[in-house]
Amino acid sequence: MAKQQHYDAIVIGGGHNGLVNAAYLSRAGLKTLVLEQRHILGGATVSEEIYPGFKFSVFSYVVSLMRPEIIRELQLVRHGLTMLPLESTITPLPDGRYIYRGPDSAATFRSISQFSTRDAEAYREYSYAMYHMAKAVKYILGIRPPDPTSFHPRELMALLKLGKHFLSLGEENIYTLAKLMTMSSADFLEEWFETDPLVATLSASGIIGTFLGPRSPGSAYVLLHHYMGEIDGVFRAWGFARGGTGGVAEAIASSARALGAELRTEARVAHVITRNGRAVGVALQNGEEIYAKRIISSLDPKLTFLKLVDQNELPSDLVQRVSKFDSYGSSGKVNLALDGMPELSCLPGYGEHMRGAISISPSVNYIERAYDEAKYGRFAKKPYIDIILPSAIDPGMAPPGKHVMSCFVQYAPYQLAEGDWNSQREAFGDAVVNTLSEYMPNLKNMILHRQVLSPWDIEQTIGMSGGNIFQGELSLSQLFFLRPAPGWAQYRTPIANYYQCGSGTHPGGGITGAPGRLAAIEILKDAGKVLA
Amino acid sequence: MSAQANYDAIVIGGGHNGLVSALVLARAGRRVLVLERRSQVGGAASTEELIPGFRFNTGAPNANLLPPDVFSLFRKHPPSFIQPEVMSFAPQLDESAVTIWRSTERTAMELATHSANDARAYWEYARQLERFSGVLSKMAHLRPPSLTENPARLLRGWARLALDLRRLGGRDMMDFMRVLPMGAATWLNEHFETDAIKGLYAAYATTGVMQGPRASGTAFMLLYQHMGGLQPRVVVGGVGTVSAGLAAEAQEHGAEIRTDASVARILVKDGKVYGVELEGGEQLTARQVLSNADPYTTYIKLLGAAQLQPRMYRRLRSLKLRGSSATVHFALSGLPQFLAAVGQPDRLQGDIIISPSLDYAEQAYDDAKHGRLSAKPVMIARIPSLQDSTLAPARKHTLSVTVRYAPYALADSDWDAERERLGDLALDTLAEYAPNLRTLVEARHVITPLDYERDYGLAGGSEMHGQMGLDQLLLQRPIPGVIGHRLGKHAPQGLYICGAGGHPGGGLTGLPGLLAARQALEERA
Repeated sequence: MAKQQHYDAIVIGGGHNGLVNAAYLSRAGLKTLVLEQRHILGGATVSEEIYPGFKFSVFSYVVSLMRPEIIRELQLVRHGLTMLPLESTITPLPDGRYIYRGPDSAATFRSISQFSTRDAEAYREYSYAMYHMAKAVKYILGIRPPDPTSFHPRELMALLKLGKHFLSLGEENIYTLAKLMTMSSADFLEEWFETDPLVATLSASGIIGTFLGPRSPGSAYVLLHHYMGEIDGVFRAWGFARGGTGGVAEAIASSARALGAELRTEARVAHVITRNGRAVGVALQNGEEIYAKRIISSLDPKLTFLKLVDQNELPSDLVQRVSKFDSYGSSGKVNLALDGMPELSCLPGYGEHMRGAISISPSVNYIERAYDEAKYGRFAKKPYIDIILPSAIDPGMAPPGKHVMSCFVQYAPYQLAEGDWNSQREAFGDAVVNTLSEYMPNLKNMILHRQVLSPWDIEQTIGMSGGNIFQGELSLSQLFFLRPAPGWAQYRTPIANYYQCGSGTHPGGGITGAPGRLAAIEILKDAGKVLA
Repeated sequence: MSAQANYDAIVIGGGHNGLVSALVLARAGRRVLVLERRSQVGGAASTEELIPGFRFNTGAPNANLLPPDVFSLFRKHPPSFIQPEVMSFAPQLDESAVTIWRSTERTAMELATHSANDARAYWEYARQLERFSGVLSKMAHLRPPSLTENPARLLRGWARLALDLRRLGGRDMMDFMRVLPMGAATWLNEHFETDAIKGLYAAYATTGVMQGPRASGTAFMLLYQHMGGLQPRVVVGGVGTVSAGLAAEAQEHGAEIRTDASVARILVKDGKVYGVELEGGEQLTARQVLSNADPYTTYIKLLGAAQLQPRMYRRLRSLKLRGSSATVHFALSGLPQFLAAVGQPDRLQGDIIISPSLDYAEQAYDDAKHGRLSAKPVMIARIPSLQDSTLAPARKHTLSVTVRYAPYALADSDWDAERERLGDLALDTLAEYAPNLRTLVEARHVITPLDYERDYGLAGGSEMHGQMGLDQLLLQRPIPGVIGHRLGKHAPQGLYICGAGGHPGGGLTGLPGLLAARQALEERA
């Protein structure tokens, strides 16, 4: 067998976590190759010109959770990462009113006051409390999950350190944290606010990407997860990368290349080659075989364990666990190319509010009803929609005078009770556009092109099993030392020299890069190196 | 206030937990007074003649959860149990059924008619259920640690439990931690493929919570409902005999019990409680007060906001009560015949469960979530007279049906207007499975969540004294900042919650009463 080239490491999948992982391995001196099946790097973190002149962040659309140490260590700013702030959220209501929250806290206060002065005051306190909670929990984003079943001194120490960290937060913070870990986002927020549309909009952060409603316990944790972002050291800020989220992947890719990594696109891995229980290389779809000292999969757990390797090489309980890993997506995406800038009927004109997020979340019950449909396998006819107009902030995204509009939609269940996504896709797109039109009457006439993505389409295009945007639900039973499976949360696998580094590992999804970095630390440890 | 307190301890409320507390305190030599608002003790562990000649368990239906160490408190008046062979029977509209027998083997054998996979899966499921529930039961016997004060003995107890947990072995321990916060639906889907089996367990998993079986935390409730193992126990003479027995034991140790004595407020001076005032103005003093009333009633109504630090008060205000069940009691002229159990009345000895699938239960919750009585409710029916002929006249029967979901807060109506519709719904739903039921009904008595509040003093109609969701368990039960069964330094001292609002929660366990009494004894040795 003709050996081509020999690498120190092969990373399967060129999503942002795969790229981060490869960059760190290269940085430590490992000769690293990344293999991406598509023609473009980035995985779910891509910008594509799907309609001439219009660039879309096709899948993930905002950035906030990217770990600052990664931006720093991989010098992503030097490699072209430019963040543009996304500063406001407006919630239009069916009765013509709206809630606006923006960088000007006085304007935010005034807007919420129209519903409740008490809430306007509580909002400041709430923001402050969440800032503190996110800061407190940030610690766990940066550590490898300990193994609570092990009696190894290293693991016991890690548990002890974790315990100490939590106790150091102080009594009140621990109670708040316990609430966030166990409550529903609506219950949690209703302890703060009485204005239902405000609770609805805030609680929507607790359902994004998950198959939960705002009243489902567990959604408060997802809410917290979305508060853990920081941009330029400012907590809780959301933003865009210039050029769309693909700009993030490009910057990481550029950094990885500069550090010596080789990045290949249109190279689909068929399976991992093992020899005597050790991973030694990969076989591509086209028959090519490439060998390396270690293989790292950034793909989701189902692909990593059930597809890339022979299940017979794995313990049966792991196979069973992973096959039951919950990774059914519940969100869809509708990308619109527009002939102009639409107007909100509740606040006509093109003010600051059009440069921020527009949230279709008029009440908690509205979102719950959308969830009710999804539970039984139907997409929501009246969905929750998180809208942004990237071209309003980054004019390069669309031709002059034209715009791109990104609509994140929930709920669109992967498994439909009737029909399939090929037959339901356009009906789903229509439901989204019709819902939007209730708030933006002039939108329909402006649509030049529409791209509708269901979880099934996400799976078909970029491979993520079930189309779950986090590579697996962020439910309590799939977090931390249970992610993706008990006993295998430390980025290793039962096959020697075979590792995992995707969002299906701790700390989960979002454009954080954290799984890629934490996996690199473990891989380098096994290689007798430290992450420099 | 006189220099000498009338009693060492006053127990507000003579529910089974209050009586356990009274018994434990009296046995330790304390002078104890129990004050019960109603004219009989028992609270939500009572048997009442709601319809002349027919006696019904108005709260807890059986003694499945009563643990041995609480049972051992009985010396002279122990209740006696009948141990039915059937735990649960879930008839289906197609006249098939799932029966969970005391014997795992028999259950698995019958499940094979639905699915060979499920028959195999049941062995592993039953094993996990018993092991995990066993761990939970150990947790239920320990006072939860607090963030501020922990006696060394308590920490030792939890350390032992942690070690026990590790001894479960890596895999079981991880699985236990994985399953606890799960939705029951997820866990059941991992084991079974037959809707009827999953639906049956969904009925247990949604007890005491205003949540559907998909909700995180319902797997915990499913385990909690099996803390007594797979060993159903029906109380001879009705559940009320447990309460009556406890009352008699307590009295023999010198405890006084006054019925028709409604407490109006708890008396506080210098940051300490010193007694209670009854409706009518009579004041009774004691060095400690244990409240078997729910936390909302205890702290907000009887103690009063003025005695609570604002932060504590806010927490108590946001206590989630969320009563979600109603009960319809029927007096029957004969035994209903279930189409799925023709000629097999022994299958009706345990819980008869109407909950054909997870989606059925979830849809029932959807209605309630939007403030409506479930159009197709989850129901648990019991016919105690089948095994205990003392409960009904000869050849007649009592049928008690728990109807879920019946949300305390209705969106467009009120319970006084909906009472009869609820009764009809229970009858109509059950009659689909047992058509002759309609001809057997002699009388019925409906207890709505509002009735639970008005007649049994359960605030918000919450049978568990506060929803048993993950956010209201352990050191967060009933609210964050509790030290075992009392509030921390920001509230008057000497006041304990000894009812279901305290750890470990609701059900006929006696454990909140036991733990609260032990803490009260320790803290005033």
